[in-house]
Amino acid sequence: MKPVSNTTRIALYLYGFLIIAVLYLPLVSVGFASVSKARYLTFPINRYTSEWMVQAVTSPNVHDLVLTSLKIAVSVTVLSMVIGFFGALAFARFQWKYRNLFQKLILLPIFFPQTVLGLALLIWFSALGIQPSWKTAVVAHLVWIAPITTLIIAIRAYGFDPALEEAARDMGASTLTILREVTLPLLMPGVISAGLFAFLLSWGNFPLSLFTTGVDSTLPKWLYARMVSGYTPQIPALGVLSVVGSALLMTIGFLVFRWTRRRA
Amino acid sequence: MLVQPFVRIDNVTKRFGRFTALDRISLDIAEGEFLTIVGPSGSGKSTLIRLLVGIDDVTEGTISLNGSRIDTVPANKRPTCMVFQSLALFPHMSVGKNIEFPLKLKKVTPADRRARALELLRLLRLPEDYYGKMIGQLSGGERQRVALARALAFDPEIIVFDEPLSALDYRLRKTLEKELKDLHGRTGKTFVYITHSLEEAMVMSDRIAIMRRGRFEQIASAEEIYSRPVSRFVASFMGEVNLFDLAVDGAGQPVWQGAGVTAAPGALTLAPGWQGALMVRPELVRFLAPGQSADFTVQGQMAAEYALGSRIQYSVQTEGGMVITVERPFEARHHGAPGAPVALGWDRDAVHPIAGTGEGGGDGKA
Repeated sequence: MKPVSNTTRIALYLYGFLIIAVLYLPLVSVGFASVSKARYLTFPINRYTSEWMVQAVTSPNVHDLVLTSLKIAVSVTVLSMVIGFFGALAFARFQWKYRNLFQKLILLPIFFPQTVLGLALLIWFSALGIQPSWKTAVVAHLVWIAPITTLIIAIRAYGFDPALEEAARDMGASTLTILREVTLPLLMPGVISAGLFAFLLSWGNFPLSLFTTGVDSTLPKWLYARMVSGYTPQIPALGVLSVVGSALLMTIGFLVFRWTRRRA
Repeated sequence: MLVQPFVRIDNVTKRFGRFTALDRISLDIAEGEFLTIVGPSGSGKSTLIRLLVGIDDVTEGTISLNGSRIDTVPANKRPTCMVFQSLALFPHMSVGKNIEFPLKLKKVTPADRRARALELLRLLRLPEDYYGKMIGQLSGGERQRVALARALAFDPEIIVFDEPLSALDYRLRKTLEKELKDLHGRTGKTFVYITHSLEEAMVMSDRIAIMRRGRFEQIASAEEIYSRPVSRFVASFMGEVNLFDLAVDGAGQPVWQGAGVTAAPGALTLAPGWQGALMVRPELVRFLAPGQSADFTVQGQMAAEYALGSRIQYSVQTEGGMVITVERPFEARHHGAPGAPVALGWDRDAVHPIAGTGEGGGDGKA
């Protein structure tokens, strides 16, 4: 790397600081709001309390919300990893007649405004006579998230030498063996990062859940509802806990990712 | 034929849509033979070996091994193994696991697999502690050897090579060519090798098949192909060669086109009406000192001189406007300034007639 001049270095520090500040200041203020005794946040904070945090962790209502959110996010993660894996093979690995069309069509849901998508799905579910619940939310999340995981895994699949599969077959491997011994392990880093994305996108999703969870409520949906009517500092407390949870998951995911990388 | 050939490729055609990649190809391969298929890109050589190992299916014709058809057998049930151009080593497995891969599929016990893998590492002159290394840690030449070890572990009847040396640098390639020939001798396996370098083919092969536009142009030993090519295409494929266009008139007299060559009486024994080219290899052309004679002579001007190391190559412009390439050993170099007049000559043994005016065999005869 090139050594930098003093002016450049100062500019870089300034830039870095600004970026971090813009990104994290809101989070920090939410953090403060969650530990302030006052009902509405004022600076400087006069009295700190852990009351809101304790409330957030112990409330049975919150347990239900977290459980619903988790059920949805885990289902979406697993399903979108499977769908994304095969979708990526179709996207990047095989030459077939409608591949070009497939590649374009699969991207559309990502760019579709999520609120509209959520409403459209709700109309569709009721047309089919399906009672909305956390399960329909899984379907709704998948519509948006599966294309994203497909793309993430496809990037990995593009760098994949088709000769590896041909060589495995040539040496006597069946299609299933090739999938298990060659294709899947080589795409694994992509599948894991796709799964991580899927979990975080589903966990934090509000617009799709708003329309499609029916009587079940997810954490973001509940947070929104409480903010509109009946704000308590329990909301920022939950927000902070949710962020910490996500960060932990990211770290674990990163470690798993590095572990598979080292094996690759 | 009473003796059944080991491999018989019989009248095989391969079409991709409307494009014919292979056009009614037939070839017999003997057991333990080192056969090299040479051709420019797009000549169909890769297609042919992909049919042989079963990655692609034949459109028409049959391929048999020891008398039984294998073209209908799927690739994973065929006793053939390919060493790919990219080598296709599994990057997520260690060297040992790569070599053991075909053994694992054959349900060999882990202990036996390991023993065999170590044995193959020794055979290919790789240190045993490479067993646990990852593919990414190896150099190009080492990867080459691992790919070969893996193919040998599979223990196929035929090992097919798809230009595996093409990505390596010149010196390493030369070393590995010799190693491969040596390994062929030690294992006694049938090797089918494809390359676009005739030089590579010559070093290693028992027989060379030259391909062009989905057909075989010539199938013969290296020596035969070098000294008696059947077409201009084959002649020019292996580098510098002098071709003199020639027709023989009704009276049996040669009519040279452009070169201004003089032939001694009786030096040419071609039938009246013959048309084609005379091939003369650059190393068989010599400089004539005043008073010296040869069966064929031509006058010209020294145009350029190139040092090739052990040999020196000269370009000589003839009076007829043709450029003749001459090669002499370094010790027998000719001292002549550019532009200086020179006399060139060669003997009747040096001449190989190629009938036809087209580039390939058969093209000109039609």
